[in-house]
Amino acid sequence: MTIEPARILVWDAAIRLVHWLMVILVPLLWWTAEEGYLDWHRSFGLTMFGLVLFRLIWGLIGTWTARFAPMARRIGSLKSYVGKLRNREHGASFGHSPLAVLSVFTLLLALTTQVTTGLFSVDVDGLESGPLAVLVSFETGRQFADVHEFNFNLLASLIGLHITAIAIYQFVLKEKLVRPMITGRRSRADFSGGQLPENKVRLLPMIVAAVLSLICIIAISNFG
Amino acid sequence: MRRCKIQIMLPVLAGLTLLSACGQNDETAPVSEAASVKLANGMTVKEQIEARQGQLKKIGKAFKAISDQLKAGSPDLAQIQAAAAVVPKEAAGMTDWFPEGTGPESGVKTEALPIIWESKADFNDKVADMQDAAAKLDTIAQGGDVAAIGMAFKTTGGTCKACHDKYREDD
Repeated sequence: MTIEPARILVWDAAIRLVHWLMVILVPLLWWTAEEGYLDWHRSFGLTMFGLVLFRLIWGLIGTWTARFAPMARRIGSLKSYVGKLRNREHGASFGHSPLAVLSVFTLLLALTTQVTTGLFSVDVDGLESGPLAVLVSFETGRQFADVHEFNFNLLASLIGLHITAIAIYQFVLKEKLVRPMITGRRSRADFSGGQLPENKVRLLPMIVAAVLSLICIIAISNFG
Repeated sequence: MRRCKIQIMLPVLAGLTLLSACGQNDETAPVSEAASVKLANGMTVKEQIEARQGQLKKIGKAFKAISDQLKAGSPDLAQIQAAAAVVPKEAAGMTDWFPEGTGPESGVKTEALPIIWESKADFNDKVADMQDAAAKLDTIAQGGDVAAIGMAFKTTGGTCKACHDKYREDD
């Protein structure tokens, strides 16, 4: 018989690093755009592109709690989860709850839209543009910029919703979700039921995801 | 059944965000009479505003063409030269594009701020700065020194911004 460790890994280091770097980058990207520091905006934006790309790849080949397929399967139990949530009978979810899956999918979709439209955006004067804007006309680049601007408002609303949800869990439902996102670990006793899915970090997929993302951002920054 | 819920939730969320964005700028104002007033140059206010927007877009387009080439590893000089020649040509007479009455008070959608007509002398100076810089950019571009073109392009862009920061609505 093996003895279960008291605290187990829920969020691997890659998920946490990506998450908190995004938390830092989103306000910086907003601010540099507002103030017109477009050189910084491009650098931060490309970094963000790399993070989003890494997260998407990690969603395919990463740890169990990072992968999209098991997350998508959880959407099926959304209704029953929300019902339990109302009666405060929900148990802790190992990884994303069905509600959190929705949150992550929409956030990632908004982030992906944001970083890709940014690559092709052109400013109203034709003076500033994203690293791949050379591939599109002035008019098309302007349309990308319009989507880039509109989608930012969407993204900001989703982030607001995300933070509100975390606050509700923390203060109303008394479930502390912030700490595990920092330490990565939670008490095994929090999770009811028998065996949990294996959630081990493997080095090779990690290297593959990191190298692929890095190659992409280097290729984009040297484009032309 | 369960899947339906999600499919409904996403558009609802997007719709709500759209609505909140719409609430901010009320664009229900009808095209005012002022829009069809004839100006001294024979154009209506609306035609004048649209004509200058068209001109400024041509300049933006030319700037993008130059900027694209300057970003490239091996810039295509011919394209830079063609675009650089467009700018002074299209920017000629710019001070005349802003006759009295062609501001936002006309009801026509424009980002030109009313302050233009309160400080017309400064506005005209800034336009002249841009025209000078664009003429220099054209001359330098025909010379073919990419580094010098890059500098002149930056200077010209700076003159655009100097005016836009003060006289154009923030977007």
